[in-house]
Parts: sequence; C-alpha cells; structure tokens
Amino acid sequence: MSEARIATSKVAGTWAWFFQRLSAVLLVVLLAIHIYVDHYWHVGEEITVDSVNERLREVTFIAIDYSMLGMVLFHGLNGTRTVLFDFDMFVKRKKMVDRGLWILGIATMIWGIVILWPFIQG
Amino acid sequence: MKISSFKWLFGRNSEFWPTNMKIGMWAWVGHRLTGLILVVYVFMHLSFLTQASLSHEDFNSLMEVTAQPLFVLMDFALVCAVIYHAMNGFRVVLFDMGIGIRKQKLVWWIMMTFAAALVVVGFWLLFDAGLFKGEWF
Repeated sequence: MSEARIATSKVAGTWAWFFQRLSAVLLVVLLAIHIYVDHYWHVGEEITVDSVNERLREVTFIAIDYSMLGMVLFHGLNGTRTVLFDFDMFVKRKKMVDRGLWILGIATMIWGIVILWPFIQG
Repeated sequence: MKISSFKWLFGRNSEFWPTNMKIGMWAWVGHRLTGLILVVYVFMHLSFLTQASLSHEDFNSLMEVTAQPLFVLMDFALVCAVIYHAMNGFRVVLFDMGIGIRKQKLVWWIMMTFAAALVVVGFWLLFDAGLFKGEWF
C-alpha cells in the first residue's frame, strides 16, 4: 500500500461510524431474538408456512423482522464500504461507491418488504 | 495487473502472512471475513425466501431440505460467524469508548470465552434435539 494513503476513518466519516455502532448494538438484540425464536424456541419442530404465518400474526414480529432487515442492510453495506475504502481505487471513486451502495440498500429493502408480505397476509 | 503487485497482501513479508500476524490482526481479519460472509448470506437468505414465497409447497419443501443434518450444520456455522462478529464487535465498541484498549489481547480472550460458551450451548441444544441424526446427504 502506498505511504500517502488517507486513513479509512477520515474517508468514511463520523456519521457512518456512529450509525455503524448504533446498528451493531441493535442487531445484537434483534439477531438474538431472531435466532432464538426461529430456531431454538421450538427446536426440532418443522418450520412450515403455517408456523411462519402464526409468528407473523403478531405486529411485534413484523416490526422485528423489518427493522432487522433495515439494520442488517445498513450495517452490512456500510461495513462493505469501510472495506472498500481501505483500497485507494475506491477512495478515488467515493461518490460512485456511496451512490451504488445506497441504491443497492434501498432496492434490497424494498425487495425484502415485498417478499415477506405474503407471509404476513397468511 | 501483475502478481507482484499483491505482495503487500500475500507476500512472505506482508502483515497478513500468518506467522507475522498477532492477536489484534487475527481479530481484525476474522471480523472482516465473517462480516463479508454475513453480507453475502443476507442476499442468499433473501433470494431463497423469494423462491420459497412463490407457493406454500415450495416453501415447505425448501424447509424440509434445510432440516437435513448437513444444512443444520451449515446454519450453525453461520451462527458461529454471527457470534464471533458480535463478540469481537463488542470489543471494538469498548475500545471506542476508551475501555480496555491497552489490554486489547486480554479483552479478546475474555470475549472469545463468552463466544465459546455460546457456541457450546448452541450446539448442544441442536444436538440434544436430534437435529444431527438421520441422512446426511
């Protein structure tokens, strides 16, 4: 790596750093609930459309699933952004990287909202 | 692009050569690798759910496939990646708050002890429920 490269933390910015930490803390809680409820609570029982429908009849779980999706997309794509900014070729194209990741994130969020819909409706 | 331009990454003298890496670097490399794996997984998760949401039969047959021991094991590997990423992430957050940075190796070992405990309990619960019994392939 070249000697003159700028520290990734300087390129990525303070807000990205702050929301990465905030989403991390929320994700620990949300993922713990997700993994426990979906895979350990009724461990050994088959997962079927009906069992998923039943879980998603509760607004709490709809809220958990959608906020988890939002947090995961932000955290994952912002993490990817940090990795990319360790390389000069992406630092030079910062605007393009930022736009690309925002578009990918928003599109994936819409995709996720749409595919969970049939399960919520039952 | 020449192979030699990747010497900083793969070379014998690079900071990423295994014998040149110390705990802090292993922790960082592990955090990046598990992070990238989990990002790829989220997109896989959504695409499988998309296929499965087409019909009830499709969803239920996909769930039957994923109940096979090999898939349970792969799922559990994913849980291990989540546990490592979360525990090391907790260490990073502590350092950002100015806690423990001078004892970063010790903090890593403490976090890994918690991680190991979670992995053991998590594996035992699946094993005890008989999820690793039956046809593997």
